[in-house]
Amino acid sequence: MGIEISRLRRQYGAFVALDDVSLTIGDGEFVAVLGPSGSGKTSLLRILAGLDQPDSGSVVRDGHDLLALDARRRGVGLVFQHYALFPHMTVAQNVAFGLRVRPWHVRPKASVIKANVEHLLRQVELEGFADRYPSQLSGGQRQRVAFARALAIEPRLLLLDEPFGALDAQVRVTLRSWLREFHRSLGITTLFVTHDQDEALEMADRVVVMNRGRIEQIGTPEQIYRQPATPFASRFIARGQSVPAQVHGQHLHLFGHAWRIENFAADDAHEIAVHVRPEDIALAPMGGDGLKAQLINLRHVGGIVRASLRVENRDEPLEAEWNERDWVRHSAAVDGVVNVHLQALTVFATDREGRVQARSTVHPPHASFPVAVGPWRRVEA
Amino acid sequence: MAVIASVVSIGRPALSARIARAVLVLAALAVLGWLLVLPLLAIFTEAFHQGYAFYLDAIKQPDTIAAVRLTLTVAAIAVPLNLVFGLAAAWSMTHFEFRGKALLGALIDLPFSISPVIAGMMLILVYGKDGWLGSWLEAHGLQVIFAVPGLVLATVLVTLPFVARELIPLMQAQGSEQEEAALTLGANGWQIFFRVTLPRVRWALLYGVLLCNARAMGEFGAVYVVSGHLRGITNTLPLQVEQLYQENFSAAFAAASLLALLTVVTLGIKRVVEWRHGDALNVHH
Repeated sequence: MGIEISRLRRQYGAFVALDDVSLTIGDGEFVAVLGPSGSGKTSLLRILAGLDQPDSGSVVRDGHDLLALDARRRGVGLVFQHYALFPHMTVAQNVAFGLRVRPWHVRPKASVIKANVEHLLRQVELEGFADRYPSQLSGGQRQRVAFARALAIEPRLLLLDEPFGALDAQVRVTLRSWLREFHRSLGITTLFVTHDQDEALEMADRVVVMNRGRIEQIGTPEQIYRQPATPFASRFIARGQSVPAQVHGQHLHLFGHAWRIENFAADDAHEIAVHVRPEDIALAPMGGDGLKAQLINLRHVGGIVRASLRVENRDEPLEAEWNERDWVRHSAAVDGVVNVHLQALTVFATDREGRVQARSTVHPPHASFPVAVGPWRRVEA
Repeated sequence: MAVIASVVSIGRPALSARIARAVLVLAALAVLGWLLVLPLLAIFTEAFHQGYAFYLDAIKQPDTIAAVRLTLTVAAIAVPLNLVFGLAAAWSMTHFEFRGKALLGALIDLPFSISPVIAGMMLILVYGKDGWLGSWLEAHGLQVIFAVPGLVLATVLVTLPFVARELIPLMQAQGSEQEEAALTLGANGWQIFFRVTLPRVRWALLYGVLLCNARAMGEFGAVYVVSGHLRGITNTLPLQVEQLYQENFSAAFAAASLLALLTVVTLGIKRVVEWRHGDALNVHH
């Protein structure tokens, strides 16, 4: 059953925060909503929490209209980026809050509340912190108190708004695996909002990519990485970089080479975009048929080498990523020039409204045939 | 002062800088001393000029006691009214978006910029015998001007901004995430207010109430216009002081010393609140 969100729209003045957003979340699923700021992800979360109402559209949970329920009756646990703990209450009082404010006839006995709080604090690994105040805790500890407080009301849906956004990098990575484990043991349906690609791809069962109030793609982390549905998803998640290429008939023309594209009908496309990922720019033997690139910057990051390459017809340098070992073995940059092969190219044809008409991935076989320069159509630079 | 300055500056400052600092500090202290401390001392000296017994007699005069009682009554009505108004105004200014929000902000500040005498005259124009509502009030046997309701109205008007102005910056800085968290946890409006919002602003609220109270008890201009100066009936303490001043110098100062005492007590409580809970009201102080 789960939660069915259909055709949500929310507008603030002239700004469209949500534009025709539909999404189904399965019971116990862990879904990440990923997008840059202003993409509408927080608006979606606030509507689900009952803190905002959509202009149109519906949200149905197990056959019941969720939007008709007041925020305090939705049974939704909300965790904020800045924790939003009550500073004048101890950790235990914070966690107990949701139980203590219940009407007297459904309020658990004080002893039951106390036992619940102890259990929850054990779950978030904060036994012994019950009498501390939030100001006496570290950021990671505060966020775990916020989790415990949200879980105390036994929510049927857990909403996390950039929950690790205010933490430093190390704590963030630790909490990621903690949260994933935590979700696995509890099995609560969870919607997680973030602008951090790594966080979304690493933790979620499914990722919803949002941009400008619209859903660009819904899929597993693997699907989105391998087959980005739109140029935005490609750029934002797979770090796709556009290269100056043209499509002419059934051929892709790029840097003086041409390759056949199969099943790509885009004769009336408004715009063609061709993306290449950093890890698909491979080092090739000098003097071969590779593409010559000027090495303008090289960084060694752990076992990875990141390079900025200047290529013809592209103002911005291309970013490439190589294995440290391959780079050492290759070590053939003459006057800072390397030869590279583009191993996978994703081609998007979009119409006037930016909708994708056709998409195809080309794996150029090296040793292509040289072509004469033809009458090119307009392409995205 | 000097200690703080030497802690702040790194190393030993040049001689000229030290002289400049000393001159500035002395100038500030001299101005405060001549304008504030000396006159305050003068009031008490003058009040006890003719001896302790005379002082007690002066204070025990029925008219003065009535004035004290009236001042306390007016403050006891006006301050809670402004407490409620201030909370409501600050809440709506910081938690809602609505048409006329800027106008409300300007109106809250208006009593600060308007002369109290004008404030009093405005009330007479509306509620006085020949005012807009005058005949209606008279027909229903209600007297506002030259009676306690008028004094309360004038005091409320003049002290309107104190609580709201104290709360608005703090509430703005705090945002509404905690209230939202409380809402999703199942709390109703009253629970959110009493358990989340109020505890967070309590010291700023107390601070605003203190300022409001000091002004309510000390207000002269607006109250002067609507009071009618009926001794023992509509004279508040500041008005009583002014009237006594025309007749009996020492008695006036005895009554004035009561007001001054109130100021000193307020100042004392304010200092304690700032010292103990400075970080809870640190937004703009």
